[in-house]
Amino acid sequence: MKILLGVVSGLALSASLAWAEPSGVFRQAHEVGSGSASSLDPISKGRVFQVTEKIMSRLVRPDMDGRPSPDLAVSWSANADATEWTLMLREGVTFHDGSTFGSEDVVYSLKRVLDPEMDSPARSAIAMINKVEAIDGKTVKLTLDNSFADLPLLLMDYRLRMIPEGSGDTIATTGIGTGPFKLVSFDAEGTTKLAANMDYFEGAPGVAEMEIIGITDGQARLQALLGGQIDMERGITAQQSVMLKGSNRFHIQTIPTGNWRGLVFRTDVAPFDDPRVRKALRLAADRQGMIDLVMGGGAVVACDSPVGPRDQYRADISCPQDVDQAKALLAEAGFADGIDIDVHVATLEPTWPVIAEVYQEQAAAAGIRVNIVQVPSDGYWNQVWMQKDAVATRWNERPADQALNEIYLSTAKWNESYYKDPAFDALLSQARQELDFDARKALYVRAQKHLWETAGTLIPYHVTRLVGTTARVGNLDAVENNAVRWHLVTVD
Amino acid sequence: MLAMLLRRLGLGAITVWIVSVIIFVGVEILPGDACTAFLEREAKGKLLENCREDLGLNRSAITRYAEWAGNALRGDLGVSANGQKQISELVGFRLRNTLLLASGAMLVGIPLALFLGIVAALWRDRPMDIMVSTTAIAAMTIPEFVSATLLILVFSVWLGWVPGIVLTSANAPLAEFFPEVLLPIGVLTLVMTAHILRTVRSSVIETMASDYAQMALLKGLPYWQIVFRHILPNALLPTINVVALTIAWLLGGVVVIETVFNYPGLGRMMIDSISDRDLPVTQAIALIIATVYVGVNLLADLLTMIANPRLRTVHMRRS
Repeated sequence: MKILLGVVSGLALSASLAWAEPSGVFRQAHEVGSGSASSLDPISKGRVFQVTEKIMSRLVRPDMDGRPSPDLAVSWSANADATEWTLMLREGVTFHDGSTFGSEDVVYSLKRVLDPEMDSPARSAIAMINKVEAIDGKTVKLTLDNSFADLPLLLMDYRLRMIPEGSGDTIATTGIGTGPFKLVSFDAEGTTKLAANMDYFEGAPGVAEMEIIGITDGQARLQALLGGQIDMERGITAQQSVMLKGSNRFHIQTIPTGNWRGLVFRTDVAPFDDPRVRKALRLAADRQGMIDLVMGGGAVVACDSPVGPRDQYRADISCPQDVDQAKALLAEAGFADGIDIDVHVATLEPTWPVIAEVYQEQAAAAGIRVNIVQVPSDGYWNQVWMQKDAVATRWNERPADQALNEIYLSTAKWNESYYKDPAFDALLSQARQELDFDARKALYVRAQKHLWETAGTLIPYHVTRLVGTTARVGNLDAVENNAVRWHLVTVD
Repeated sequence: MLAMLLRRLGLGAITVWIVSVIIFVGVEILPGDACTAFLEREAKGKLLENCREDLGLNRSAITRYAEWAGNALRGDLGVSANGQKQISELVGFRLRNTLLLASGAMLVGIPLALFLGIVAALWRDRPMDIMVSTTAIAAMTIPEFVSATLLILVFSVWLGWVPGIVLTSANAPLAEFFPEVLLPIGVLTLVMTAHILRTVRSSVIETMASDYAQMALLKGLPYWQIVFRHILPNALLPTINVVALTIAWLLGGVVVIETVFNYPGLGRMMIDSISDRDLPVTQAIALIIATVYVGVNLLADLLTMIANPRLRTVHMRRS
C-alpha cells in the first residue's frame, strides 16, 4: 500500500511538473561592459554572458559543487596518458532554428575558438587541444599536445558554448544555441528579450520570458531592484545589502567565489626580486582585518593562492599577520630600517584604493612604508598593470589549473608578477599528467604552498558574492552564474 | 538686422568648429584609445594591432580629424568606432528621447516658474514669498543626484506610484516612456523652475521700483492694470535669456539625471562614448550640443530684440 501510494504521488508529482507551463517574466540587469561592441558571439570579447549563458549550452558544465557534469556531452573518457579524450554527445537535441545538434557542430565551435585568426580570448584556456575530430554523429575526439587529466574542467569555461556549424558570421546577432531560452530580440544597451525554449533537453523552463536589461550605473541597478523593476542583481556590496536585509520583499544569497583582488609586486625588479622581501610584504598583511574593513566581512581569507575556497584543489594554508617575522626577513635582506614602496591603484576597481590604504596602515608596523599612487582608470591595463613595479590587480574565478597556469607559469602571457620558477612550472606540468586524483591534488597543493613561500602577489581574500533577488523569485541555485541552472528558475 | 543675423550665424559656425577641435584634442590626450578601452587587459600584441588596423587608429590624428570634418560638412557623421552602426541613426533616437525629457520639463517648469516668480515678487517678503524663495534655494542647491535619489525613494520604493529607473530601450515608441519618464521630468523641473523663478522675481521687483511704475502708481492707475500692462511685459524681457540658457542646458542632455535614471538620452550616450573612446559618436554629440547652444541663444537674442522696441531701433540704425 505504501509503495502504491508512493507510486501514485510520484506520478502525480511528475505529472504536475510536466504540465507546469512556463509563466511570468524574470528580469535582470547587466552593466553593458562592452558598450556598443556588445555581441552574442560567446567567444568574442564583447559577449554579453548574461545572455549567452541562457541561450547556449556547453559540452560540460559545473554541478553545484563545481565539478564537471554533463551538458551537451553526456559522458567522456580519456586514454591512459590523458592525451586523447572521447566525448559522447547528447542525442535528440535541436538548436533554436530547428536544426539537429551533432558532432559537426562541436567540431566547428571548438575549431572556431582555436583559430588564431579569430583571436578569441577563450583560446588560451584550451590551447592544448591540438585536433578536434568527429568520430561519428554523436562522438567527438579531442587530441591534446600533452597529457591533461582535467580537460573536462576546462570545457566548463563560460565562453565555450556550442553554436550551429557555419553560423560564425551571424551568431553575434542571431544567438542560436541549444539553451533553455531562445533569443527574441537583442539590444545590449536596452532590453534583450528571451522566450522559453519548450524543446530544451532538460525540460521546459520555469519562466516564460526573460529580460536582460542594460543599466550601466551600479546605483541605478540597485534602485531598480528596490523598486521591483528587476528581479535579481548579482554583486551587491556589503553596504548595499543592509537595505535589502531588513525587508521581506527581498532575499539575499551569499555565494563564496574564486574572484579576488590583490597587490602585485614584480618579482623581476629590486627590491622585490628577493623572495625574502616578497614574503615579508605578504606576512605584514592582516587578511581578516582587511576583509572586515574593505568588504564588510564578505570574503574568505586567501593565503596568496588564486585557487578559490570551493575549488577541490584548494590548499589549506594558514597565514596570520606576523610582523616580527616580516621585520626579520626584511633585515636579513638588508632592509633593517624598513623599506619604501610605491603602490599604484585606480578607481577602476572601487576596492583597490581601500585595500591599498588598509595595507599601508597594516604594513607600517613591519617598517614597510607604502606610498599610494592614484592613477587614472583609463588605460590602466596597458599603461600601469604589468608596467609599474607594484600595482593592484583583480581576477575572476578560474579552475585551479587555469588560475595557476595563466597567472604564474614562466611563459604565461598574463604572468603579472613576472614570476619565473622552474620548480613551480615542473609541479604544474606533473599535475596535469597525473591521472590519480589524490596524487594530482597533492601536486596542486604543493604548487600553492610554493607560491605562499615565494610569490610576488598578495591575495588577501576571495570575494563572497551577494546576490539580491525579489521575493517572487524561486529555485535560483545559490551558486555563481557559471553553474546556475536557469531553466529551474521560477517567478510567482 | 539681416547683417547682424548673418554675422551671428557666422560666429556660431566658428564656435561649433572650435568646440569640435577641443573635443577631438581632449579625447586624443586621454590615455588609451577605442581599442584599449574595448580590449582592457587583452590590449596587447597582435590583438591590439589588428583592432587599431580595423578602426584606422594607426593613422595620424590630423588625418583622422580632417577626414571626419570633411564628412561632417557633407552631413555624414560616419559610423561608430566599432563600425557597426550609423551614427545618425544612433544619435537620432537619443536626441528624440532627450527632447521628450526636455519638453516635459519645459512645459511644466516654465509656466510654473513664471507664475511663482511673479507671485513671490508681488507679495515680496510676505510668508508666500519666503516659502517660495526658500524652496527655490533649496531646490537649486541640492545636487540633482541627491534630489533624484530622494524622489526615487519616496515615489518608487515607498509609495510605488511610478517606476524609479527607466528600462525602456532607446528606440522604443515615445508612448512607452510613460510613466517612467515622470520622475526624471520631476527632478529637472525642480532644478530649472528654481533658477528661472529667482530671475523672474528679482526682475519684477526691479521693474516695480522703476520710475515709470512709480509714476503710474502715483497717477492712480488700478494696481492690476499696472502689473499687467506696465510691469510684466518689461520685467519678463530679461528672463528670455535665462530661459534660453535653461533650454540649451536641457537639450544638451542632462548627464547626471540621465545616468541616475538610466535614461537613454544624449547625455548618457556622450558619457558612454567617451569611456568607449568612440570619437565619431562623441564628436557627433558635441556638434549637436554646441549647435543647440548657439542656436537657442541666437533665437533668444532675436526674441528680446523683437519684444523690445528700443533694442530693435538701435540695431536697425547701426545696420
